[in-house]
Parts: sequence; C-alpha cells; structure tokens
Amino acid sequence: MNSTKHFSVVIIGAGPAGIGAAIALYKRGVKSVALVERSDKIGGIPSLYKKKKGGVRTFIRWSRGGIPFFGEDYAHWLGEQLSKTDVQLWLQSQVIEIEAKENRITLVNPDEGRVSLTAAAIIMACGSREETASERGWLTGARPMRVFFTKQLLQLIDGNGLLPMRNPVIIGSDLIAYAAAAKLKVAGAADAIIVDNRRRPKCSYFERLYFRRWSQPNFRGVAAKSVEVVGSKTASGIRLSREDELIPCDGIVLCGELIPNSELALQGNLKVELPSRKPVVGRDSQLSEPGWFAAGNILGGFHGAEWCYFNGRRVARAVINHLSQSS
Amino acid sequence: MVDWPDGNLDAAVRFDEDPYDVIIVGAGVVGCALAYKLSQYRLRVLLLDKNYDVGEATSKGNSAIVHTGFDAAPGTLESQLVTQASRQWPELAEKLKIPFEKCGAMVLAITDEQNKQLDTIHAKAVSNGVDDVRLLSAAQTRELEPSVPQDVLGGLLIPRESIADPFTTSIAYAEVALANGIDILFGAEIVEIEDADKTIKKLVTARNDRIATRIIVNVAGLGSRRLADLYGGDEFDINPRRGQFLIFDKYSRSAIKRILLPIPTAQTKGVLVIPTIFGNLIAGPTAEDFSLDDEEVTDTTLEMLQSLLSGASRLFPGLVDQPVIGTFSGVRCNCSQGSYWIRSNDGHQGIVTVTGIRSTGFTSSPTLAEYLIKELHEKCGLNLEKNPNAVDSRPESNWPGWWQRPFANGELVKQNPDLGKIICYCENISRGEIIQHLDSPLKPRTLDAIKRRTRAQMGRCQGFDCQIKVAEIISEHCGIPLSKITKRGPESEIVPAPTAAGNEGKG
Ligand SMILES: Cc1cc2nc3c(=O)[nH]c(=O)nc-3n(C[C@H](O)[C@H](O)[C@H](O)COP(=O)(O)OP(=O)(O)OC[C@H]3O[C@@H](n4cnc5c(N)ncnc54)[C@H](O)[C@@H]3O)c2cc1C
Ligand SMILES: Cc1cc2nc3c(=O)[nH]c(=O)nc-3n(C[C@H](O)[C@H](O)[C@H](O)COP(=O)(O)OP(=O)(O)OC[C@H]3O[C@@H](n4cnc5c(N)ncnc54)[C@H](O)[C@@H]3O)c2cc1C
Repeated sequence: MNSTKHFSVVIIGAGPAGIGAAIALYKRGVKSVALVERSDKIGGIPSLYKKKKGGVRTFIRWSRGGIPFFGEDYAHWLGEQLSKTDVQLWLQSQVIEIEAKENRITLVNPDEGRVSLTAAAIIMACGSREETASERGWLTGARPMRVFFTKQLLQLIDGNGLLPMRNPVIIGSDLIAYAAAAKLKVAGAADAIIVDNRRRPKCSYFERLYFRRWSQPNFRGVAAKSVEVVGSKTASGIRLSREDELIPCDGIVLCGELIPNSELALQGNLKVELPSRKPVVGRDSQLSEPGWFAAGNILGGFHGAEWCYFNGRRVARAVINHLSQSS
Repeated sequence: MVDWPDGNLDAAVRFDEDPYDVIIVGAGVVGCALAYKLSQYRLRVLLLDKNYDVGEATSKGNSAIVHTGFDAAPGTLESQLVTQASRQWPELAEKLKIPFEKCGAMVLAITDEQNKQLDTIHAKAVSNGVDDVRLLSAAQTRELEPSVPQDVLGGLLIPRESIADPFTTSIAYAEVALANGIDILFGAEIVEIEDADKTIKKLVTARNDRIATRIIVNVAGLGSRRLADLYGGDEFDINPRRGQFLIFDKYSRSAIKRILLPIPTAQTKGVLVIPTIFGNLIAGPTAEDFSLDDEEVTDTTLEMLQSLLSGASRLFPGLVDQPVIGTFSGVRCNCSQGSYWIRSNDGHQGIVTVTGIRSTGFTSSPTLAEYLIKELHEKCGLNLEKNPNAVDSRPESNWPGWWQRPFANGELVKQNPDLGKIICYCENISRGEIIQHLDSPLKPRTLDAIKRRTRAQMGRCQGFDCQIKVAEIISEHCGIPLSKITKRGPESEIVPAPTAAGNEGKG
C-alpha cells in the first residue's frame, strides 16, 4: 500500500555522521542519495546547543586546531556544506521500520503519510541517547519531576529560556556532565555536585580544566552500591545508601553514558549486542546484513561531533566500495 | 463537568446549591467503575480525587492481569466477584475500548515438591468455577512455551487469564460516566466531614470547599483509613504492601506468549513474568510491608529489583540478557481484617466504607461496582431509576487505540498531518494523538496523564527525546505557560518558580 521510492544510498539521521556521509557520497559522484531525519531540522545533537554571548562552547574542532565551537555554529556549518550537494533531504521523517533483506526502510511524515525507500546501501547514523536510571543500574528511589537528561536541559535552557533547577545534582561524570554543569552555572544555577559510582571523574583532566572557566562542580565519587532519588513531587535530593548521606538539591540531571539508538537494527534483526545495544559491525562498519552500514555515535561509546562527521565520511567510502562491487 | 481547582468555576458557590445523591471519594479503578455504573441511573453523583487524574494511585501500578480467580480462596466475596468479572471482561473491553488480550497463563513446576502441588492448584481452580484449566506434562509445557527452563516438570494452563490496559480502564469508566452527566472534581482532598450524622452531610476539601451529599462512598484505597477516621467508621487496619516491577524492552515480548507464574509458597505468590498489552514484558511484583505513615512509598530499591530478576529468570532464564527499560512500583491496600472489607452505614447512615481491595480490584471493578450499587440500594435507601438516555460505551471515534496506531495508516496521516509528526520516537506517538487526548473529556493536562494515555515518555528512552516536546505541546495547545506544566499537578512543576532576582535561563 505504501508508495516506494528508490535511491542508490539512504542515510538515516542527519546529525554530524549522517551529513558527513552525505557530503562524501556527493563529492565522490554518487547520485540519488536520500538523507532521512525525524527532527524538523538537521544537525543532530549539536543543533540543540545554542550560540549565546558568555555561553559555553562544548564542541571542539580538532581539524581547526582544537577550537571550541557552539553546537549551533557547527550544525550551521554542516548545513552549509549539505546545501552545496544534491542530496535529497527528508525532514520530519521518522523511520519506523526496516526490512534488512529487502534493503528497505519505511518512514512516516506529515506530507506523505507512509513511504518506503529502497537503496543499494543504507547507512544508519541514528546517534545515541543518555542512559536512563534503570539502565545505569545503581540509581533507584522515587520518580519525581525534575530528573532530567542533558538533552532536556538544553531544550529548557537554550530552547525555552527556563532555568530547570538552582541546586543541581548531576549523575555521571563524562564530558557531557561537566558541560552540563557549566551550562547550568551560566544559566543562573549554583555549582553542581557531580555524583558517579567511580573513584575519579570519567571526564579527562584537561577537559575539566577547560570547563573550570564557567563552573567548579564538586565531584563525589560514590563507590556506593546504590543511590536513591528522593522527592515526592519534585526531586529534593539523592541519598547515598552506603554513607546514608542525603545530598539536597532541587533537580537532578542524568548525564552522558551514551546508549546507541540501535532499535531499528534490533527490529530488523541485524545483529546487536545486548544489553549494551551496540550494533555488531564488521570491516568498514558493515552491519550483519550486506548493504547495511553504521556511522557515528550509533557505534557505541562517546565520540565528539567532529569524530562522527569524519567517521561518516569514512563509512561513505566503504559504501562506494560496496556499490561498485555489487553493480 | 470536570473541574480543576484552577478552573473558572467557583466550586464553593456551586456546590452549596444542591446536595449530591452520592459522592464517591477516590477515583481509582474502583471509584471510576462505580461512577460508570451509577451513571446508568437518574442520580446526581460526584466523583472526586485529591490527584489530578483518575487512577493515579494503586490503580496505575499493578500487574494489569484480568484474573480468572483460579487461585482465589473459594467461597469468598473476592472469589465470587473476580470469577464473575472475568467472564464480563471481553464485552466490557469491547464497549469501553480498553485494549485487552486473552493471552492465557501457565503455572510452572520446577521441583518434585512443586509438581505435586499442581494438582491442589488444579482442584482449587475447579472449585472456583474456573473449570477450563488443564494440567500439562513437561513436554507439553515446553511445547507451548519454549522459553521456560529445560528442567520444567509440568504446568497448569489457565486459558482465560488475560491482560488489559490498566490506565485506559479508569479513564474509560470516567469518560462514560462524565458523558452521562456525572461530575468529576480533581485536586480535592477530603480533610473533614461535617454533619456526618445528618441526612445531608458535608465533605470539606483541603481548599475549604464544602460539598453536600446524602451518601458518601469511601473508596479511597490507602487513604480509606484516614477518611474513615473523619466519620468514625469501624475498626480496620491498613498494612500497605509494596510491589516493585521491572519493565523489559519490546524485543523480549515474542519469547513468551502467556503469563508465567511460579508455584506460590505459604509466604508469597512469588515473582511472575507478565506480557503487557503494550508489547513489553514485566517481572514482579515484590511483597514488602510498610506502615500507613509510609503510604506514599512507591520507591524502587536496588536489592529488590535484583531479587526480581533472579526470581523471574527461574521462569524464563533468557530474561537476564534482556534490557530493562524501566521500573515501577505499586502499593496494595492490604487490610488486616480481610480483603474486600465492605461496611454499609459505617458509623452513620449513608456512609459506605470499601477497603482491602488488595490485589484483584482491577479485575473485579465491574462486578464490585454492581455489588456496591446493590448495597447502596438495599442498605442506604438509594433510589435506582434507570436513565433511559445513558450510554454504556465509549464512542468508536475517540481514538484508534493502540492496536491501530495512526502511523500504520498512511491515508489517515495525510488527512491530519499532525498524525505524521512523530513526537515520541520509541513508541511512535504523534503530535496529533497527544492533541486528541488533550481535547478528550477528562481534559488531561499533566505529563503523567498524557503518558498514561498515549505512552509518550513510557518507551525505552524514558522521555529523553519527547518529555519536553510533550510539555511544549500541552503548553501551546492549552495556553498554559511552559514553566507551569506539571508532572502530576501543583507542586510538580517542570521548573522551579522564578525568584525575584530573575536572571534565569540566560546561559
Ligand atoms: C545529550 C547529549 C549531549 C552531548 N553533548 C556533546 C557535547 O557537548 N560535545 C560533544 O562533542 N559531543 C556531545 N555529544 C555527543 C554527540 O552525540 C556527538 O557530538 C554527535 O552529535 C554525534 O553525531 P551523530 O551524527 O552520530 O548523532 P546525532 O547527533 O545524535 O544525530 C543522529 C540523528 O539521527 C536522527 N535519527 C535517529 N533515529 C532516527 C530515525 N529512526 N529516523 C529518522 N531520523 C533518526 C536523529 O534525529 C538525529 O538528528 C552529546 C550527546 C548527547 C546524547
Ligand atoms: C503490585 C500490585 C499488583 C497488582 N496486580 C493486580 C492484577 O494483576 N490484577 C488485578 O485485578 N488487580 C491487581 N492489583 C490490585 C489493584 O491494582 C487494586 O485492587 C486496585 O487498583 C484498587 O483500586 P482502588 O480504586 O480501590 O484504589 P486506588 O487506585 O488506590 O484509588 C484510591 C483513590 O483515592 C484517592 N484518595 C485517597 N484519599 C483521599 C482523600 N482523603 N480525598 C480524596 N481522594 C482520596 C487516591 O488519590 C486514589 O486515587 C495489584 C496491586 C498491586 C499493588
């Protein structure tokens, strides 16, 4: 019943990785490429970090001598590069289903309803999300309002000009956590208390040093078996069970510890490692079915935006190889 | 009418005018079912709750099993109401458009000791009138459910044990009751009762509204003891019993078809593995006792969650590798004096106490409501005259239902492009569906109310992608500032109120 359209390559996700792949395919003369994105704009995670005077730049461009950028600027740059290509962009298009053997994806969007796309090669550049409390495994307790993810902080602070909390507790200690602490401080909150179940912060010394310009968060390494969220209506603290200590706060942010957005791969029976949700990739980021590739943060682990962009370009070369072999 | 404290209606003035025939205190599944059934008669009825949606307490945190009553204590009121209700459910679900599936259940015996007990359970089921149960050999058990342990010794099949959507059930009852002219008031905690001994009694809310009525039905669940103290009801004790659950991602759902139950011990019914109507699996519940002062304790704890996993994996060993996407807990209203503890004219004429609806109230809600109406008629003198204009079903058009999401139908999306704007990526819930629910009869306005209706925020990412977008849609569609959107009513606002200094959110 769905209409079906054919392409030589379909890319799922217009974040740095997907755009990197799209640009590389264009530059190497691949025609008929579709870039499918569920949001109403391109750029992925970086597009949520708005440019602001006195704000915190959290994206580093190593290719430009390690200059820190605002995510929004980086997304803008990606958009400019993309506009020079003939890649067909599908916005507001959520891919809801894949059929791996048929090289087919099905998407929903407001204009066309349901559409299927087929292609000789498909790149999954779906990015990642942050671990939930249950995925972290050591965070239990109440489920009040104001237990946010970093993404939600960005939507509230940068997207809506609201201050989500004044006395933050941050769970997790990677770069995203320190960036969130800085972001909150600049927005008007106090220095955060950063809690993680490890002895030392995951974020490197030099990265932490960078963020000290904006905020001096207090790291609490809790070897505690469990940490409980406290608060009946809104978050009012966390309890470190072993120390039996209550750290008061008026909001909690679950930061970092990225989980790949591999649900489409799982749904389509491509091999995915559980519970880490990392897609199983072979040589050249090939997934378990020929013609399917993965690029960017969907691969698992933490990678900055520029790494993802270059990874997208690299995967594009593998895709071109595949196209030339199968034709 | 549905009213919110922040609505335009001056409740105090309005409520003083004319007494209600019946006020139902507590809009859990039992209160909602009662409102639904009472709305078939010519009566003035008010359903009220301290929360800001129906079914926000015990009725939202349960196993969502529509029990056959195979393991109930034979001869009790509970057994009678549950077995009757079990046979009514398929039709009820159809009328009220409640997602419902007769998936069946299986009791598993792993040890010789347990295998011997299967016969006893079988006999009990038959004496409860559940005569379609069937004993299974080890081979039959494995054939029907290949994911159970290889060393299973036998099983008992309960074909009619079913699952349903617990959230939609309370909502559906209340929507039909509302359509038939029953009033609903949210944010109304009853803190005092005046003139309990008179024909016309007055319920006083925490906001100091006085609402007059001839009959009070106390279906306040865990709050029933405190409420009964206000009118000097009979002695009974509530010992809240918490049950925690693990929720597994949808990929695990296809591994089992039926509800898997262990052989109960003297202490506990044990940990079950239960398919949900939404396509997940859940494992639970625990049974942990609290005192009434802790009644709001719906926390989850690490030790218990770990014990759930080991318990559940005895029924389905593969579960240990499945990703857990969330946890929740519910608190049973456990009454020391017995389950289904019902007193008519309790303390005073015209007051009915209904408590101890511990672990089967979701199932029994339709028959319990009928039983209560009979009590009200026979013991409290409630006059029952059928309302010929009353409806008993929800309109077909209300929403397509989970079994038929709009995204599955491209033509539908083209007619209403909002149905193609996917907001919740895990469950593929569109902006259009969220708006349909905001415009639905009970006027849900909180994040949790939208979550229970649409499933947005209930998927594997737990709101990472959609929570703020849902809040923005509520804000925009209902004209409420974003900062005032709440999780479940006042004091659970999404952000703290700004301070006088006010240089907020500039970063
Ligand atoms: C909350 C958060 C904060 C971060 N902060 C920083 C930071 O400050 N600095 C930094 O260097 N890195 C940060 N990162 C890391 C970030 O993931 C990378 O910088 C980079 O954005 C990854 O690029 P990507 O293209 O792989 O994924 P993303 O940027 O996540 O892009 C993936 C895109 O795919 C789309 N998509 C996914 N599934 C579908 C589907 N089914 N259908 C259609 N479209 C789909 C998404 O909408 C998204 O636009 C952060 C990550 C997260 C999750
Ligand atoms: C872990 C667990 C698993 C379960 N599994 C199942 C199952 O599989 N199948 C099944 O059939 N049953 C099950 N149950 C039982 C079922 O959930 C309950 O029997 C049912 O929800 C009880 O509904 P209720 O309306 O009596 O109570 P509640 O839902 O608790 O409603 C009481 C309402 O009264 C309100 N209230 C209290 N005090 C006041 C006051 N002073 N003023 C105003 N309002 C007030 C509360 O806000 C609340 O909304 C389970 C229960 C638990 C806890």
